[in-house]
Amino acid sequence: MYSKIKNQFATPEIEIKRNDLSKVIVKRDRLFELINLLRLNYSYVTLNAITCADWIEDDHFALSYILTTEDRKHTMMVQALIGRDSAFDTISHIFKQAEIMERDLHEMYGIKFIGNQNLKELSLENWIHTPPLRREFDTLKFVNENLTFRDGRDDNVDTKVETKRLRALKKAKKLAEEKAKDDKNGNS
Amino acid sequence: MKWSIDIKGTLSPVSILGAFFDKPNTIAYPQVKKETAKGYRGFHTNVLSDCIGCSNCQDVCMNDAIDMIKTDMEYNAKNASQCIPRIDYGRCCWCSLCTDVCPPDSLKLDEEYMNVSKYASDFIYIPKNQ
Amino acid sequence: MIKMETPKHITIFHGPQHPGITGNMSVELDLIGETIQKATTHVGYLHRGFEKLIERRTVIQAFTIVCRICVPEPDPNEANFAMAVEELAGIKITERAKYIRVMVLELSRLSAQFLWMAGQSGSIGLYAVGQWAIADRDLILDLFEELTGGRVYHMYVYPGGVRRDLPNGFLDKVTDLLIYLKERMNLYNDIFINNASFKNRAIGVGIIDKEEAVANGYVGQVLRGCGIKADVRKDAPYLIYDELNFEIPTQKAGDVYARALVRRDEILQSINILEQVVSKMPKGDIMIKMPTHRKFKLPKDDTWVKVESARGEFAYYMAGDGTEKIRRMQVKGPSLIHGFTLLEDLLIGAELSDVALIMNSLGICPPEIER
Ligand code: SF4
Ligand code: SF4
Repeated sequence: MYSKIKNQFATPEIEIKRNDLSKVIVKRDRLFELINLLRLNYSYVTLNAITCADWIEDDHFALSYILTTEDRKHTMMVQALIGRDSAFDTISHIFKQAEIMERDLHEMYGIKFIGNQNLKELSLENWIHTPPLRREFDTLKFVNENLTFRDGRDDNVDTKVETKRLRALKKAKKLAEEKAKDDKNGNS
Repeated sequence: MKWSIDIKGTLSPVSILGAFFDKPNTIAYPQVKKETAKGYRGFHTNVLSDCIGCSNCQDVCMNDAIDMIKTDMEYNAKNASQCIPRIDYGRCCWCSLCTDVCPPDSLKLDEEYMNVSKYASDFIYIPKNQ
Repeated sequence: MIKMETPKHITIFHGPQHPGITGNMSVELDLIGETIQKATTHVGYLHRGFEKLIERRTVIQAFTIVCRICVPEPDPNEANFAMAVEELAGIKITERAKYIRVMVLELSRLSAQFLWMAGQSGSIGLYAVGQWAIADRDLILDLFEELTGGRVYHMYVYPGGVRRDLPNGFLDKVTDLLIYLKERMNLYNDIFINNASFKNRAIGVGIIDKEEAVANGYVGQVLRGCGIKADVRKDAPYLIYDELNFEIPTQKAGDVYARALVRRDEILQSINILEQVVSKMPKGDIMIKMPTHRKFKLPKDDTWVKVESARGEFAYYMAGDGTEKIRRMQVKGPSLIHGFTLLEDLLIGAELSDVALIMNSLGICPPEIER
């Protein structure tokens, strides 16, 4: 199976991760062709999930389609790298459950799935900011701008600074003492 | 729809009446208190004569629940920063990661878990010295 | 809301404060009389942004948050998280840790099944069963309290092992509880499973087609209820499940009653597994030495791990990026597909009074839909 996929798709990367898990990376325009091949010829009939990871430094999303065989003994991770702002085709005409997964990803990453009729909001109501799971969305900044912290916690002391200050104090004190001693000795 | 009487299914639930003669599972709460298991993750305690003020606990706490503060209590002489942790129980999730990383094992979780107060500011809690 | 253009239709919201709904979600129902014409699931009452929070935390810090993804049974989440981290970092855990993990997983499965029993019986008004089931679940929680220090959120299965060793005499307590629960199961059979009123309500309701179930990726009791032997513990064994002897109960009918029977048999199987684990429990270390949290780094790689929870396959996708933080952790529980694809389908043509019954039997739990 792997050699056939290799020949047909010219994919450099097939990785066998565990006995029951392998990963294939294909070009994005041949992804559905591969999924169809796996589905029809090798009985990977179930789409378990569509996962997405944001690699902002390489400027792409890694979209993986998790397929399982009919006897559920082997799982295949078919991965395609898509641009961070590009749209992608839907797979919901083959797998019905993909509709809701794509809706989830659309909300969290802002990926537009062309052909999916049902890309409305899922759990974030009236969200107008950047889709939250994109790396450029900074939660801390968002919280600082929109929420207030409880008061009564401002007396936090930075222990590193404090330790240094105490050490310096101690040293100065010691020096002063020594000096005083020296002075005393010198005077007498 | 054909309707037939399921005799066994109708009669067997009656056996629930037997439960009238069982000892109740519940306890009479305010009079009898349930004993907390040993090792329950309740409130924090801190042995002040051991705490070295290293702020490891503050560093590992992912909820930013810990502040290092100065009080007028008596500390360990080796306490480098002269600070002790104070915990915001509005944020703490009692994961006990802070007690895992404490080098002298001074910070611990106690079996006690009740804190009733009128004021929200009482959620900010200085661990008892034990 | 009555639609004026078609006065026959009524649209009502079932949930989120309805006692017959499984958590903080709601189903918008379009009715003619008592019959449902269209169902739309709404979530969004519970979004906590865990997947985003995890990106900001180190691996060890992230571990405390995963158990909150599913309220009734947090341990599959912890086990998944630990397994994914161990696989990425190439860590092997000790034999004793594996056994303890299996024990914790099975205990949590039992507790979740009892909670289901309470919900399922409550959804048709058999409240006595519900109260008993909750009381019995509490006995399991007592064990958890002793073992892990927490009753609901255990934070116990740690990357690299488990956090505490078994307390003295713990295994005896587990054995005692198992004997007690086995006895109780006869009672539950009498008053709940064989109860004529439950049978009348459940048989023939919410029938799921076998072919569709496989293709659409349904999991757990939904598959087993229509005769497919699907169980991650057998299909892709993790931990020590390949060394244990147990069966996967199945039923043919595919309706609510079949799923109830499957769950009943699963409780017995869990008790069976626990007995084996208790008798085989090896000695040794529970935890391998782990670096401190700022030094623990994951390589740039990704993986997909899954365990069997009480409601079916529970899977995590995890990607590390060479730093001490996790790049991406995606949760795939049974509820996303069950709650949308399946439920919206299954409710069409059903009666309004059966909604709670069907929802409970599918094991839909919104916390993992919106993480
Ligand atoms: S128990 Fe956990 S959340 Fe609470 S203070 Fe300690 S590290 Fe922070
Ligand atoms: S409680 Fe422990 S970890 Fe925290 S500052 Fe004191 S010694 Fe350090």
